[in-house]
Amino acid sequence: MSHSKRSDIFLLDTERTTWHDATLWFVRQKRDKAVYATPEFQELRQLASDIKDHTLSRLDFYLQQFEENARRNGVQVHWAADAHEHNQIVLGLLQQHGATRVVKSKSMLTEECHLNPYLIKHGVDVIDTDLGERIIQLRDEAPSHVVLPAIHLKKEDVGDTFHLHLGTEKGNNDPQQLTETARQHLREKFLVSEVAISGVNFAVAETGSVVVCTNEGNADLGVNLAKVHIACMGMEKLIPRLSDLSVFTRILTRSATGQPITTYTSHFSKPAEGKELHVVIVDNGRTKQLGRPDFRNSLKCIRCGACMNTCPVYRRSGGHSYDFTIPGPIGAILSPNIDMRKHASLPFASTLCGSCTDVCPVKIDIHTQLYKWRQVLGQEGEIPASKKWSMRLLSRVLAKPAMYGLGGKVARQGLRFLPHGLTHGKGYNPWAIARELPEPPKQSFREWYAQQMVKL
Amino acid sequence: MSSSREKILAAVRANQPDELPLPTVPSFEGDDSVEKFTSIVQGIGGTVVEVTDAARLPEVIHQLFPADYRIASPLLPEANVPVDAQTPIEVLAAVDLAVLQGEFGVAENGSIWVPEANMLHRALPMITQHLALVLDRRNLVATMHQAYARLPSVGGYGTFLAGPSKTADIEQSLVIGAHGARSMVVLLV
Repeated sequence: MSHSKRSDIFLLDTERTTWHDATLWFVRQKRDKAVYATPEFQELRQLASDIKDHTLSRLDFYLQQFEENARRNGVQVHWAADAHEHNQIVLGLLQQHGATRVVKSKSMLTEECHLNPYLIKHGVDVIDTDLGERIIQLRDEAPSHVVLPAIHLKKEDVGDTFHLHLGTEKGNNDPQQLTETARQHLREKFLVSEVAISGVNFAVAETGSVVVCTNEGNADLGVNLAKVHIACMGMEKLIPRLSDLSVFTRILTRSATGQPITTYTSHFSKPAEGKELHVVIVDNGRTKQLGRPDFRNSLKCIRCGACMNTCPVYRRSGGHSYDFTIPGPIGAILSPNIDMRKHASLPFASTLCGSCTDVCPVKIDIHTQLYKWRQVLGQEGEIPASKKWSMRLLSRVLAKPAMYGLGGKVARQGLRFLPHGLTHGKGYNPWAIARELPEPPKQSFREWYAQQMVKL
Repeated sequence: MSSSREKILAAVRANQPDELPLPTVPSFEGDDSVEKFTSIVQGIGGTVVEVTDAARLPEVIHQLFPADYRIASPLLPEANVPVDAQTPIEVLAAVDLAVLQGEFGVAENGSIWVPEANMLHRALPMITQHLALVLDRRNLVATMHQAYARLPSVGGYGTFLAGPSKTADIEQSLVIGAHGARSMVVLLV
């Protein structure tokens, strides 16, 4: 199903769509306030972009430097070529420790690898502990945003879900009370879990540390109580120096939610005494993207979600309409690298307005890449027949002035005399579903211009 | 496993572009005043209490928190829950208040650097119901650039801790007290 077809489903509920649009725009405005209050923000964006560009250009060196330093710190480093190997490594570690109870904090990578269903299939009770993630886990849904995983839901939905699974009173939709229920419910899980899995926001090559940022404190609570901490990271999370974190911690949350910093910005370098710390470095298509010069800098992404909050298409179509782990504009340039055919409609889910590029804190040229993916998809024949043939026809007409003139004349006459139902037919003129065609003018500009030239 | 390592590194070498320069990050300065720090901490849901004399710390804690609280702290003689790295989870889970030393504060975002050595147990700052961090008012820096410049090493574990635990995952309504401390007070000495 294409992005536009899935959007139709989301758009059925007008009230909810309007709320979704307005709420994300509010988050974008909070971002603006925080950004404008930071005088050097544009310099920080450039620095962040340059640091990431440099890192990607020496990624082999930094991966090995990170590994060496992490090992020296007593961290066990694993390498996974793809999602399946990542899942096998994690399961292997759990089995090695006889662990069946696992808490997990937010990690888009483990979503990408579909770790949860894999572990559950193998008898592991894996519990997502970020509140938004836990809500969608109970509902058996995917996150619809990288920072706000349950933004597609209203408090009534959460109230119903908690009533069903956690025994709250029916009709109790109070966010404060629902959060308190989740706190109590998840504390029980934190206290008994043998292993905790976390994502990674940044991995520092020179110190061998991984940095995890949360507001809820669920990552720290989970990994500091469990005997084993498994941190799963995409290979593009590397940065060279500890001091580079000063740039990234300043831009991450300001871009994401407008906060000055997350509540917990935690640096894990060594396992606690008697415990274990594992880092799994995952490729899963990233080296392939690194080899695409037009698209490699999408690997600079720090998953702040700013491009989603600002995107007029994302806000009005919802994260699930993208049917990819990372939705929104950034997802639309990452997904064709993974599966071009499946995600062929995503680069077209954009007006190319460029707002995503304007807010991106690491200066990824998102809208340019969306445009370039369209060219690639066209060449690969991954464009729907209706679009392909209408474009072919149009290019012929536009190349011949006489035919263009004739076409205009026919259209002006046709619009005047043909019945409305025929010119605005939903089946073949989707443009007119929510719009009226203009009143046709008596003459074209070219006809008028020719007349003026005669008068002169 | 090691074969994947070699495979990945070979693919990276084959696909990475020619080397691009690594920029030098300037130390952007800013306001490092107590006023700035205090207003940001309040903005993120924390409180700042100015303790005129470090010797008054027990008295201030007594005023701020109920007397029957189970307190873990290396700083107070009144602490009644002894905690170290080996403390069992059930004991940690029963702590009402942890009073810990913060190393330095960052005025631009209200965060305080807390290294493992100051935590008694790595989970204590998060598992406690309430958290108080003691901070020397002379140890404030303006931005994260000066913050990282002060850290020769991040040790085994350490965190920039900014305010109480919070979430807005239900309809973007801000709720204080998600999984970590329900409240966070900075005691400026």
